[in-house]
Amino acid sequence: MSKQRSFNVTDLPGFTTIAILAFLALYAPILTLVVYSFNDASSITVWGGFSLRWYEIAWQNTAVKEATLRSLIIATSASVIATTVATLAALGTTRTAPFKGQTAIYAMINQPLMVPEIVTAVALLIFFGIIKKATDYLGLGYLIAAHAAFCVPFAYLPIRARLEGMDLSLETAAADLYANRWMTLRRITLPLLAPGIAAGAMLAFVISLDDVVITEFVKTGGQETLPTYMLGQMRRAISPEVNAISTGLLALTVLLLTAFFLLTRRRD
Amino acid sequence: MKKLLLATTLCLTSVQMAAADGSLNLFNWGNYTSPELLAKFEAETGIKVTVTDYDSNDTALAKIEAGGHGFDLVVPSHNYIPIFAEKGLISELDLTKLPNHGNIAPEWVDVPWDAGRKFTVPWQWGSTGVAVNTSVYGGDVNTSAVFLDVPDELKGKINVVPEMNDVVNLAIMYVGGEPCTEDTAVLKKARDVLLAAKPNWISMDYGATEKMSNNDWASSVNWNGSTMRIRLANPDVVYGYPREGYPLFMDSVALLSDAKNVDQAYQFLDFIMVPENAAMISAYARYANGIAGSDAFMPDDMKTAPEVVTPAEHKAAGRFLPTCSPKAQEYLAAIWTELMK
Repeated sequence: MSKQRSFNVTDLPGFTTIAILAFLALYAPILTLVVYSFNDASSITVWGGFSLRWYEIAWQNTAVKEATLRSLIIATSASVIATTVATLAALGTTRTAPFKGQTAIYAMINQPLMVPEIVTAVALLIFFGIIKKATDYLGLGYLIAAHAAFCVPFAYLPIRARLEGMDLSLETAAADLYANRWMTLRRITLPLLAPGIAAGAMLAFVISLDDVVITEFVKTGGQETLPTYMLGQMRRAISPEVNAISTGLLALTVLLLTAFFLLTRRRD
Repeated sequence: MKKLLLATTLCLTSVQMAAADGSLNLFNWGNYTSPELLAKFEAETGIKVTVTDYDSNDTALAKIEAGGHGFDLVVPSHNYIPIFAEKGLISELDLTKLPNHGNIAPEWVDVPWDAGRKFTVPWQWGSTGVAVNTSVYGGDVNTSAVFLDVPDELKGKINVVPEMNDVVNLAIMYVGGEPCTEDTAVLKKARDVLLAAKPNWISMDYGATEKMSNNDWASSVNWNGSTMRIRLANPDVVYGYPREGYPLFMDSVALLSDAKNVDQAYQFLDFIMVPENAAMISAYARYANGIAGSDAFMPDDMKTAPEVVTPAEHKAAGRFLPTCSPKAQEYLAAIWTELMK
């Protein structure tokens, strides 16, 4: 009965074909990359039998190891900073009475999502160049600061979504029972918000982990991250070593995104 | 504990790198620096070299111009050296600190972009020509007609690399002009030749090393080092040196004006001019260097490679593309835009 009245997109002609084609377009290239990472030959298009040798080569490559470690340090620091800032920003924009210019604040927080990455990269290159010359400090701090900045909106969005979906009556009840604001925040709001914060942190981590453009412009001597190292390898013949590294990076991303999904899933 | 220590050192080394304590920062193209070369240099001098990659001359120039980069040496292509020098980003070398300077092969000393080699030391050089699979096309390969007046056998099977300067200048030389010309009659002819040839090309893409090794393409405008690697995988492939003229390129090492580890940089520059060491550079990235006597130390498959050792009869046609005037650059870009449509 209801079948006749409601519109169901899956009933449209060609739905299955289009869906399959779309998934193929999305996943076939990635699948090819993963398959050829197990290639025994040193080509990324000619199959020469199954082997794990490119994983072994990548694993023994000190440049890869150093770049991986550096990527992890940057992503961890940047996501911690970005998530802290994003949590404060989310509380400030949802747990207050609507104020003038709120939309402008949203736009400003989400600015890194809108501004082309290359613009930010060039701006940072010039800006950090001045600081570097003035202070002589050339450490990882610049990369961490840059990554933290563009990771904020990625952490902010899931946290704000969680805050907006949370039942306000619990916080009101806490206030009724003479909890002061700080106690309400610590005992009620933050525990309820935890999954949102964790999800935001993981998203920020993944975004920082695979950034190329800004990193390429901000990095100084010896600050190759995994993605910029891989980009450097592309100039001449590409070997399945790059496939192996990509597959590793992909596995890590999928793992984190799965965790993100599980955390944000509503418990029914 | 070990991991924590490593992490801490990683954070700290980047801070201390500026101090001249036996370290050197080399800013070079990705996948271009032989790790064995650096290991040997460290073993001989105790200087640890940190390599950081870039992927284009423009990126390198932009980062160095912004300042505070922390690099000591950079390896720009020949047409970028005058730009680096004019902007004062690289400094003139003190040749008394480079006893091996005399090892630079005579033909590479008075180069157009750095007469007398006062600013730079050769790293590697190569050429852009045409790679042809002779099992598909048996005709003359030493001509740009391979891709500009495509023989029937190669129609729909030839690729052209999407490199504006190389491709348009090959066409300009094919119609009898000078690279970077401002003569509109010549430019018009070059454009017409390119536009007429394009329908016969299968693609304008990179990746000839892969796609000619597995016979996806029968021919491609390609670089010599890459073509040698194709031939090792697919012996039917030969490298043609277009007799109408073909572009040469050379990447050279220069000392940055704000380098912090100047002494170490000189030691490195001198080190790579030792023939044996120059051969290590070539053995890794598969291009020729510019050091006399390095041939003896080259890997066997490179010593006789016709792609690396340019046959005498083809030497004269090779041309270093100059740094084009802004006007010439505008013309090139206009032709290129029309071609890419």
